[in-house]
Amino acid sequence: MARGPADPVVKAKVLEYLGKVQKAKSRDVAVAIGASKSDVDNAVKELTAEDLVEYLYITTTFICLKGKVQTPD
Amino acid sequence: MAILDQGPPHYKKMLPPIVQENYGQWKYHEIPSPGVLKHVAESGAALYSVRVGSPRLVSVDFVRDLCVIADDYCDGFLRFTTRNNVEFLVSDEAKLQPLLDHLDSKGYCVGGTGASVSNIVHTQGWVHCHTPATDASGVVKAVMDDLYEYFNTMKLPAKLKMGLACCLNMCGAAHCSDIAIVGVHRTPPRINHDIIRKGTEIPSLVASCPTGAIRPDPKNKSVIVNEDKCMYCGNCYTMSPAMEIYDPKNDGIAILIGGKTSNARTAPSFSRMVIPFLPNTAPRWPETTEAIRKIVELWIANARQGERVGEWVERIGWEKFFSMAELPFSDMLIDDYIFSRETFRTSAQFKF
Amino acid sequence: MTEKKTPLLDELETGKWPSFVTEIKRAAVKSEAAGELLQVLEKSYVQRRGHWKHGGIVGVRGYGGGVIGRYVDEPQNFPNIAEFHTVRLLQPSGWFYNTKALRTVCDIWEKYGSGLTNMHGSTGDIILLGCKTEHIQPIFDEFSEAGFDLGGSGSCLRTPNCCVGPGRCEHACYDTLEACYNVTNEFMDELHRPMWPYKSKIKFSGCANDCTSSIARSDCSVIGTWRDTLRIDQDAVKEYVANKFDVQGIVCDKCPTKCLTFNAETQELSVVGEDCTRCMHCINMMPKAIAPGKEKGATILIGGKSTIVQSAFMSWVIVPFMKMESEDDFAEFKDLMRRIWEWWDEFGKSRERIGETIYRLGMTKFLKGIEVEPVPQMVFRPRANPYVFWNQDDLDRSGTALDGSKL
Repeated sequence: MARGPADPVVKAKVLEYLGKVQKAKSRDVAVAIGASKSDVDNAVKELTAEDLVEYLYITTTFICLKGKVQTPD
Repeated sequence: MAILDQGPPHYKKMLPPIVQENYGQWKYHEIPSPGVLKHVAESGAALYSVRVGSPRLVSVDFVRDLCVIADDYCDGFLRFTTRNNVEFLVSDEAKLQPLLDHLDSKGYCVGGTGASVSNIVHTQGWVHCHTPATDASGVVKAVMDDLYEYFNTMKLPAKLKMGLACCLNMCGAAHCSDIAIVGVHRTPPRINHDIIRKGTEIPSLVASCPTGAIRPDPKNKSVIVNEDKCMYCGNCYTMSPAMEIYDPKNDGIAILIGGKTSNARTAPSFSRMVIPFLPNTAPRWPETTEAIRKIVELWIANARQGERVGEWVERIGWEKFFSMAELPFSDMLIDDYIFSRETFRTSAQFKF
Repeated sequence: MTEKKTPLLDELETGKWPSFVTEIKRAAVKSEAAGELLQVLEKSYVQRRGHWKHGGIVGVRGYGGGVIGRYVDEPQNFPNIAEFHTVRLLQPSGWFYNTKALRTVCDIWEKYGSGLTNMHGSTGDIILLGCKTEHIQPIFDEFSEAGFDLGGSGSCLRTPNCCVGPGRCEHACYDTLEACYNVTNEFMDELHRPMWPYKSKIKFSGCANDCTSSIARSDCSVIGTWRDTLRIDQDAVKEYVANKFDVQGIVCDKCPTKCLTFNAETQELSVVGEDCTRCMHCINMMPKAIAPGKEKGATILIGGKSTIVQSAFMSWVIVPFMKMESEDDFAEFKDLMRRIWEWWDEFGKSRERIGETIYRLGMTKFLKGIEVEPVPQMVFRPRANPYVFWNQDDLDRSGTALDGSKL
């Protein structure tokens, strides 16, 4: 993944995209918002530290807005 | 707030002084007695490692007991092995026998070196896994109790490495073991359509099936399983809790033998199935312990010195093994999955 | 808690091998959760089925893994294990410990969790079995304070591990302990923030004995080897002979390439270095007399995995020899891993291990993608079919015009 501080524009686009879906693989987010995968991964790193985004492990790891997907009963 | 990404504790803080001083300067090793390794460095320093069996699933008090022993005899240092044994690291030879005496008095199992059976690498089983076809710890306990005479001695033809995986996910990577114990399901998943409708991603579920046995059922907003194609791997259940596959009457154990991962002499090899099914007779799995003992004893009686199980069977031929072991051969033992052709005998050479 | 009977499990407290049932009972003295675990397990023994549900969503802030959600299927009957999550901690290289560090693990875990652990998990981590959701963050905070960090889970770099290496083994062809520590620290993002199609594992073995079984159970196997000729100490050979050791039978006859010759008269052992495939057999048998060569490094293999889904794969060679001595050499390895993961990240399907992706798309495409030149060491033997994918560059170089001139 990219090093150093994440691009605020990419972070905003990631949040906007995740607002429109339940959950996504970061690769699909990258394609959808037209950013590189490594920039998206870096943005997600900061967004999770800021408690805005979280990782979900449902057979493979997805990302989603924090709290958007609940544990399946 | 926790420190992120600090990584593992530095190993150098965990090494006893004798290891720090002779790091990378070890010259040779010997096995003075079963369970005791003596490593000698270029400097002449000798490190004794005393190997002790562990059930792997242990309480913190078990670990604290190990710490007391390590403080008393090993200057506060110990390690664990790739097969989940404990090794007490003794740098003072005068403390070796007292340690061995102490371990014996407390009932610890010292062994697992050289031509012996080592601890069985295993998975979680009924203790903590969501897809098990058998238990792990219980089967391991039963088999190790039965084969204990080969743990604390070195009278086998070669080392015997065993693995147990409680389902086909094979978390323990049992598939390259001298003897592999593998939990198997034998009946197709039972579909809970309500759970699927509540939020299972049908395309992912369909894609999870390696044989294409699952197809969408748009009318019911669910899926259909073609039971003839299903080989009960349970991958769909990992994808969705709607595909329950456990079946107490039909789940059980398969035995595969002859794998290894070392490159010594022959290339690493996969274990091969010799018994397709044994029942889950909890709590001590007598059918499994007996089957394994028979194979081990046959190997002891017939292998040449230094031959791992797979090397012995490959030398005599699998057809010979089945007749010697008096194990029935059936269609279940002939591969019909993706890479099957390489197992077919494309030669007129074989034994009767 | 009223004492409940566990007659089936009690039978697993007899026999010589140490009993996990005894261990759960020890933990149950202090932990109601461990007590209920024993009850659920007894139920599994009666009913011959498991009672654990799929993982849910649990974690710590800033990470995407390290904790695995686990829930019992009858929370009303077993309230103390309604949530019974697993915490993975990165182990020190080679599983060496001082007792102070181990006691720290015990104390923190006893304070918050069931007091049950696996030393260690199949991947290598310290496994702490059974805690409640509300305790996950405090557990991490306290372990972090004590110098420990979480291991990997999910579609990430799983916790790398290594053999005992130069810490105690004369066979080690590179410093597995340092390589594991160095590489783990380098890829903290990849380990803690899952971003790939599926999991990826690395194991470091110091020689071809492969004590970590890296070839069978890691996507990338780093196996120590040497490029020159093994070294023989003739005086030590004579000592073996004097001790009635059968050099011819035990060593030479079992050498897979027959590159060793023993002269019974002079009692000297000689080797044809270029024929040796460095299998370790002779060194294992005569550690005092035979040692690896001096030009040491590692072979890098890729693709190992277990049975689900496409069958089990063993890793195969992609770099026959890489030096692993200095930080620069590690940099070369790390650079290679980045290229490999980038390629897999781009082309791999969800839940597809890298070995399966390479198998689906072909080694040719993979090697081009990671910029590695093909060499014969990568295969046992070349292809037997003529179905080669030719590209325009190859056609331009090899095609000939009808008048015989180069195109």
